Amino acid sequence: MAAEVVERTPVARPSAGRHTVALFASELHLVFGRARTWVLLAVLAAVPILIGVAIKLSGSSGDAEGFLGQVAGNGFFLVVASLALSLPFFLPTAVTVISGESLAGEASLGTLRNLITAPAGRSRLLAAKMVALALFCLAATMTIWVSGLIVGIVLFPVGDVVLLSGTTVSLADGLFRALGIALLIATSLLGLAGIGLFVSSLTSTPLAAMAATFCAFIVFGILGAIPQIHVIHPWLLMYGWTSFADLLRDPPYWHEIGRNLLMQGAYLAVFYAAAWARLTSRDVNG
Amino acid sequence: MVPVTAVAVVAGVGALGPVVADASPDLPGITAQDLLAKVQTAKVDGLSGTVTSSTDLGLPAIPGLGADAAKFTDLLTGKHTARVAFAAPDKARISVIDQMAERTVTTDGKTAWVYDSSRREATKLALPAHPGKPEVAPEKQAYDPQAVAKQFLAAIDPSTKVEVSGTEKVAGRDAYKLRLIPKTDKTTVGSVTLAIDSKTWIPLEVTVMPRTGKDPAVQLGFSSVSFSTPDSSTFSFTPPKGVKVTEQKLPTARHIEPKGLPKPNATKPGAKPGMVKPGMGMADRDKPTVVGKAWESVLVLRGAKLPADVGPLGQLLAKARTVQGTWGSGKILTTKMVSALITDDGRVFVGLVTPDTLEAAAAKAPR
Repeated sequence: MAAEVVERTPVARPSAGRHTVALFASELHLVFGRARTWVLLAVLAAVPILIGVAIKLSGSSGDAEGFLGQVAGNGFFLVVASLALSLPFFLPTAVTVISGESLAGEASLGTLRNLITAPAGRSRLLAAKMVALALFCLAATMTIWVSGLIVGIVLFPVGDVVLLSGTTVSLADGLFRALGIALLIATSLLGLAGIGLFVSSLTSTPLAAMAATFCAFIVFGILGAIPQIHVIHPWLLMYGWTSFADLLRDPPYWHEIGRNLLMQGAYLAVFYAAAWARLTSRDVNG
Repeated sequence: MVPVTAVAVVAGVGALGPVVADASPDLPGITAQDLLAKVQTAKVDGLSGTVTSSTDLGLPAIPGLGADAAKFTDLLTGKHTARVAFAAPDKARISVIDQMAERTVTTDGKTAWVYDSSRREATKLALPAHPGKPEVAPEKQAYDPQAVAKQFLAAIDPSTKVEVSGTEKVAGRDAYKLRLIPKTDKTTVGSVTLAIDSKTWIPLEVTVMPRTGKDPAVQLGFSSVSFSTPDSSTFSFTPPKGVKVTEQKLPTARHIEPKGLPKPNATKPGAKPGMVKPGMGMADRDKPTVVGKAWESVLVLRGAKLPADVGPLGQLLAKARTVQGTWGSGKILTTKMVSALITDDGRVFVGLVTPDTLEAAAAKAPR
């Protein structure tokens, strides 16, 4: 753990408004200056390589349905398939680790105490933490996008993209849509990031925060798998996660995408508010 | 306080948002007969929109039916969303929006294409020419819609109460609600409600309520709709590269109806949706017959082989109630909407009726 401690210089930790930019920059430095962040991104970058090599070695797409079945014919679909396959597990795990760390990590190192002694700085600190988390979500999906594209071009033929509706669009159009998918998935992770941030504000043990956040994620998954309670399914965190594929229709179907974004916003609002309440009322020694 | 406020605001928007949007619009009063007459004169040159369906017939889930059967029964249960487009006289497109996949049926009047994105298979159907079609329109103009509406009401009056039961907003449009209520208590159908657009007189939504319970058994309607004619390119289909294409010819001169429009007669008393009994192995010579009238109609299938005791359907039947009567004995399956009686001599009675009505039908039906 000690090796990962990133030094916070007193200059980069201001409490006044005019140093807001410095605070955000410091927060980004904290998240992206860590070895563990880069390991997580490397794991995500390996997902397309794994899938691509496996499909290349097997020599055919087999009978796979959906995006995975199209990879061998068009490397473009490696981008979409990798994003789709990372969404249920790899991406949430990465977000859990980073968000669980965010406040609890500072608390465990004793740095949080310095940060929250100035009451005016607490809200701004939380905002900076959240922005850094959001940027990590985006970095995570963009890593897969870029890695998927490179591996796809190297291993497979790349060409015009067949949309779900059966229409064919140019590769540029397809890549633009895939970029939109990466953005949407990053946004889909914000609800989970909000939960992680809140849990992280409760404890000073980062590992406990990560475990609790991941437990919450698994509970959502289990609830979503029980058909008897289908009434509440539309309100679960991951219900709209697969809506990203609606961007690959002709024309894109926005309804579910919009609903998912609202849902993520709602989860984020509730848990961010809870984290804010916790942080601003927190005892300096807490 | 802030988190509590956040929860309250989020819950409030989630719970009250739809309620506010569903306020019933103010529309001038109209009689059922006038409304029916208007529906017949309804004519649109084209429309496009999104249709959502939610079906809860209370059918038991039968696992292990096989992929093809599952794909079909899948449309009879649960919630589905489809994009529909229609252009007069014979262009239509329906795309069922599945999770990370899409099933499309489109026709430009000459050819029809069926495309399944998850299997990457396309089927081309050459449609037979149907010269009879253009004559339908003038013929339709020849009779008086008011008279037909009156006749229709007179015809269904003994079995059904028809009323305009209010107004509602469907897909952002003001609509009248035309409600059909069966007068008999032998059916499981509580009511059938059509939401009819107050400007184009096109039915926008169909709701079938069961006799018991508050949730609709079937709800099919537009969640958004536009009455501008879609571009003709909407209906064309070019099979994408790498897609398996099979060609089929339609065996009969049956023409394809523009399925995008919910037909007013689709919910006429007696029309029975959802009577699919896969895996029964029905012989062709045993044509299904109908016993009973209107809401009490029961479909009779003969020569059904009961599945072996093992297997999901066998298990389902093993749990079913055994009934006996002058007609013999059999197993009865009941759900919220559909009842089925399977007799030991291989007859199957299915209907949107109560189990007692099925037994009565079994007694009356010829062997």
